[in-house]
Amino acid sequence: MNGWNGKILEINLTALTYKTYPLDMEIAQQFLGGRGLGARLLWDLVGPEVNPLAPENVLIFTNGPLTATGYQTSNRFSVTTKSPLTGTVLDANSGGFWGMQFKKTGYDVMIVRGKAKSPVWIEIKSGEVTFHDAGDLWGMRVYALTEKLGQDNNRRNVLCIGPAGENLSRIAAIMNDRERALARGGPGAVMGSKNLKAIVVEGKERPDIADQDQFKFMLYETRKLLAASPLTSQALPEFGTVVLMNIMNNIGALPTRNHQQTQFEGAEEISGETLTEKYLVKNSACWACPIGCTRISKTEKVEGEGPEFETTWAFGAQCGIADLAAIIEVNSLCNDLGLDTISAGSTIACAMELSEKGYVDSELRFGRADLLACSVEDMAYRRDLGADMAEGSLRMATKYGHPELSMSAKGMEFPAYDPRGMQGQGLLYATSNRGGCHMRGNMVGLEVLGLPKLIDRFQVQGKSSFVILNQNSNAAIDSLVVCKFTNMGVADEYFARVLSAVTGIQYATGEMIKVGERVWNLERLYNIREGFTRKDDTLPARLLNEAPTEGPSKGWVVQLEPMLKEYYRSRGWDENGIPTPKKLADLKLADL
Amino acid sequence: MVDPRIYDMFREIGSDLYSANMISSHGGNMSIRLGDRVVIKRRGAMLGNLKPHDLIETRLDKNDSGVALASTELLVHRTVYLNTPALAICHCHPRTAIAFSLSRDEIVPIDNEASYLLKKVPVITEEFPSGTPQMANKVATALQNYKIIMLRGHGSFATGQTLDEAFFWSSTLEEACQIMLFTRQINEPFIEYRKMSESYNKF
Repeated sequence: MNGWNGKILEINLTALTYKTYPLDMEIAQQFLGGRGLGARLLWDLVGPEVNPLAPENVLIFTNGPLTATGYQTSNRFSVTTKSPLTGTVLDANSGGFWGMQFKKTGYDVMIVRGKAKSPVWIEIKSGEVTFHDAGDLWGMRVYALTEKLGQDNNRRNVLCIGPAGENLSRIAAIMNDRERALARGGPGAVMGSKNLKAIVVEGKERPDIADQDQFKFMLYETRKLLAASPLTSQALPEFGTVVLMNIMNNIGALPTRNHQQTQFEGAEEISGETLTEKYLVKNSACWACPIGCTRISKTEKVEGEGPEFETTWAFGAQCGIADLAAIIEVNSLCNDLGLDTISAGSTIACAMELSEKGYVDSELRFGRADLLACSVEDMAYRRDLGADMAEGSLRMATKYGHPELSMSAKGMEFPAYDPRGMQGQGLLYATSNRGGCHMRGNMVGLEVLGLPKLIDRFQVQGKSSFVILNQNSNAAIDSLVVCKFTNMGVADEYFARVLSAVTGIQYATGEMIKVGERVWNLERLYNIREGFTRKDDTLPARLLNEAPTEGPSKGWVVQLEPMLKEYYRSRGWDENGIPTPKKLADLKLADL
Repeated sequence: MVDPRIYDMFREIGSDLYSANMISSHGGNMSIRLGDRVVIKRRGAMLGNLKPHDLIETRLDKNDSGVALASTELLVHRTVYLNTPALAICHCHPRTAIAFSLSRDEIVPIDNEASYLLKKVPVITEEFPSGTPQMANKVATALQNYKIIMLRGHGSFATGQTLDEAFFWSSTLEEACQIMLFTRQINEPFIEYRKMSESYNKF
């Protein structure tokens, strides 16, 4: 079989048994892998009656037809589940080495069901599954555990949860390869709820490639294009994703102090330039990645990967903190505890505002870098206010009577792009199937970086078409699975050609994007089945009503309503945001 | 935002380049050196229709966040500035010159103006035609000896003290190549009118 392995591994933790069975190739061709295949399987496995933290929820680990082929950035994988943070369909996506190694065990999919009676960890070696007692590992932090279980980048790879996942924090991540994260939406809590501490993979099987000559040509062409793009050959390798800090600040779209402002006076101090100059040891890369955006940073206290732009922003501008060393250190702590850094930082920022306004009795204040570390510790162990923060900003702010201070959509905290300065990003956040997320079709490329060409970031009319195309394209890329940064140098048609070369099935670019549209609509159907409606496609009142009083985005709020109406129409949905029968038939989803 | 007068200069010459058919809608790029800074066209912007936000200011000696917005050829521009006295660079896609670059290692004009001004334009080859350090070094090395060079099958890089000057070398080369093409089409014996013209290809 080319591209896919054609096999699913299903693990029952309640019985500590496993079985394997063939992957339905018709479904595989329609949904590819990764996020798409995960969503399709979740549709059948987890209905609206299931609590996300109940044994009936599942974790679906998926790789894709390109994973482990050696194509540039073909290292990524997904986990799909029902989110304990948002209640929506959730897929979280990570790089590193684990995804490649998982594919080499001979499986495309691993479904984890049930709940073990006591903590366990799982070892998968070339198809064989072994259950191990994890009683002595429960409570361990990520770095020590990863080392103890034998992490060896190209041979043996560890995926695990930290204390945050064990304590069912709704913003807990699943960590892999020590410092990579399936971060958003709380998949770590689902893993913790199953008493599953870790999954270790070792494999030897390489996926077959249908057309080696064409594949080699595409490798060559992709290498050439990635080398030619200043983003993938210079900006990301030299500064990492934090290169965006000054850019977003300069255009007045850097959310600051829980989105109370859109520019941060300390941006330069936490910028990519400062990170490179003061703290960078070297850059690093995931498997088969020529870009190398990973930072290896060092302070007096820690040395390790990161921080990413969103992390630096969440603990930086969003909390009013310009102390980059403190941010690097809290990033490292979050990785060790197994926490989503975006949600953790933004939830602390929300708590700071609640506290400053007297709604919560706490020392937290904007700018208090000295309180970051203890806040995330409290979050992971559910101590004091940390117990509320572990629930995410929306539940916490609701408890204290001010849900409007949670900067989130569908309960997921926003990343580092203020939509008042980027109208398309606002529509993207409001319609994202997993909540406030920039990885569902980031508009930064079009509205800020000019990828492929710059569009007016304040334009409202017609913006929905760009958002939809990006959402569909990103869903397809998430299903291949490759890194979206590749898309900064390589256009979608390259992915379609690589997919065709690997699988031997001819995918025109339009067909591949249609896979993305199918995935997006399926995710939408899932959320509708869970009870989500048009009223959930919205943003906090602050972004809709409170315009910045200074800076390049002065006077702007998100013009959501007209964009949303246009979006539904352009999607082929009715006025309530429900896909029409015609649209579903066109996408071969009519039977669902 | 850069000085409005600098923007006016970029806008006028960008528009001229497009009107002269020396770039496609989004092709080509230009920059000027301002001490330790470079002002360069934004990646993907239209030279023929530049807006103020299409000019990106970035450092000369090392990257900053401007690299995420700047032209794909930023590395070439920087390398040229660091290795030559140039204060302005014009990169365009003169069509006739590109056609000649596909069949020869140097272009030796035969018309009077270009013979006088350019003598010879070397054609250099690079496997990856855009944005790589290898290409940047080759272009910069060539521009240490010539005011304008051709990258085979890609386009020209011209330097000057001003954008006007770099544009002048570019349009002179294209004009020379068009004249060479016309003489081929006329297909009549060439009457040499220049003294010591045999030395031009050693220039």
